[in-house]
Amino acid sequence: MSFWELIVSLLGQGLVITLLTTVLAAILALVLGFIGGLMRLSKNKFIRFIVAIYVEVFRGTSLLVQLFWIYFVLPMFGLRMSALTAAVLAIGLNYGAYTSEVVRSGIQSVDEGQTEASIALNFTRVQRMRRIIIPQAFIMMLPNLGNQLIELFKSTSLVALITLTDLTYQANVLNATTLQTTQIFTALLVIYFVIAWPMTKGMKMLERKMTEGRM
Amino acid sequence: MSEPIVRYNNVTKYFDDLQVLDGIDFEIQPGEKVALIGPSGSGKTTFARLLMTLEEITDGTIEVEGDYLWHEQDDNGDLKPASTDHLRKVRSNIGMVFQHFHLFPHMTVLENVMEAPVTVQGRDKKEAKKSAEDMLDKVGLLDKADTYPAQLSGGQKQRVAIARALVMDPKVLIFDEPTSALDPELVGEVLDVIKDIADQGDTSILLITHEMDFAKEVADRIAFFDGGKIIEDGPPSEILYNPQAPRLKEFLERFMNTQSSPE
Ligand SMILES: Nc1ncnc2c1ncn2[C@@H]1O[C@H](COP(=O)(O)OP(=O)(O)O)[C@@H](O)[C@H]1O
Ligand SMILES: [Mg+2]
Repeated sequence: MSFWELIVSLLGQGLVITLLTTVLAAILALVLGFIGGLMRLSKNKFIRFIVAIYVEVFRGTSLLVQLFWIYFVLPMFGLRMSALTAAVLAIGLNYGAYTSEVVRSGIQSVDEGQTEASIALNFTRVQRMRRIIIPQAFIMMLPNLGNQLIELFKSTSLVALITLTDLTYQANVLNATTLQTTQIFTALLVIYFVIAWPMTKGMKMLERKMTEGRM
Repeated sequence: MSEPIVRYNNVTKYFDDLQVLDGIDFEIQPGEKVALIGPSGSGKTTFARLLMTLEEITDGTIEVEGDYLWHEQDDNGDLKPASTDHLRKVRSNIGMVFQHFHLFPHMTVLENVMEAPVTVQGRDKKEAKKSAEDMLDKVGLLDKADTYPAQLSGGQKQRVAIARALVMDPKVLIFDEPTSALDPELVGEVLDVIKDIADQGDTSILLITHEMDFAKEVADRIAFFDGGKIIEDGPPSEILYNPQAPRLKEFLERFMNTQSSPE
């Protein structure tokens, strides 16, 4: 195998892991964010309190420390998991905390009149949320959610530190074995950028498409 | 006499320490069109919002077709606060058109009108679409069915809002200053639609308005609100041309002086 073939093959494998981690963690973050955001708006004080703790803990400590804790500390309590599972869990929980704030403020930014019109039309609370409030809130959340997705994608490079063989991990291995530092880390930079950039553009397009003529 | 469709019994409303409604008794008969007039801040909106269940009642009761709106009777016949299901059941008789329309901006005009029949009443989509289109035709906006509210004028928005409320077939329809947010040249088209509904339907109407000429034209009865009370209540001719209460005389005089009649 030639030098370049080796680079492409290893970085390619790493890229697959990076994208897999991104997609799974983003799904987890979105689900947790919506559940957390809705719970944050609950009438029940205790439910709001639980979410507040979750959000503060995960915003108040760094993602790297959370990764270490989940991968290296939880096994001591008998909770052993693969590096991929730990990575998805840590990133999903971390970004879920931020997303819940985005969801909460998005829902709160929907005009009170929308709730009143829904009550006047006799919607139940759940129908109102599902059909009227969340669809409008979602459009307002899109720019923030888009930014978070890109932040999340870039933050996956940290998972190399818990031995997950992602793009950054493979680049490190290649660097150590070939010592072609400039080429390898430049390739790494370019790959991250080439993925993040269309993501930004894609989110902008989605935003435009969803608001066109409506808002 | 038939049973009233709406009856307020000694209804009182406080916002914290501020008393806004002061022991109001009031009835609306089936099919009756009642206009509420009175100075700003006198409690008209709050009075109507209690019926739409947008504000909670502090004291007294409201009945809709003989059912308590805010209360339920337990086995001993004592009143307790209504459950959500009970509230929804009684509320289904009431509809409301707001000053600021509150159309759903993420839905087309047709979807705005179809949404509640499908989601709330569980009606068949095709059939609901048909009724929605009929309703849009009635308010003269069938050609706008596929546009979004943001592209409509204020008058058109309010006509869609009226169609959206009407399609639910309420027994009582509340209008809270339906033309106050509109440019003067758009008021007429909305009043025409309300007039049509008043003339055709057996829907009871509760209309809060500052348009005295219009109130006279559509209402069977006008009630004058002041300081959280209904001070005077009677046929338009009596209220407008033979007012008794000094506060009402004052209100009408001030009104005639500041507002130029559109006729
Ligand atoms: N949500 C509220 N909280 C506190 N005070 C309110 C609220 N809504 C209305 N009020 C007060 O109640 C009084 C009656 O208001 P309203 O019913 O809107 O009168 P009107 O429609 O006749 O102008 C006013 O003094 C108003 O400031
Ligand atoms: Mg008012």
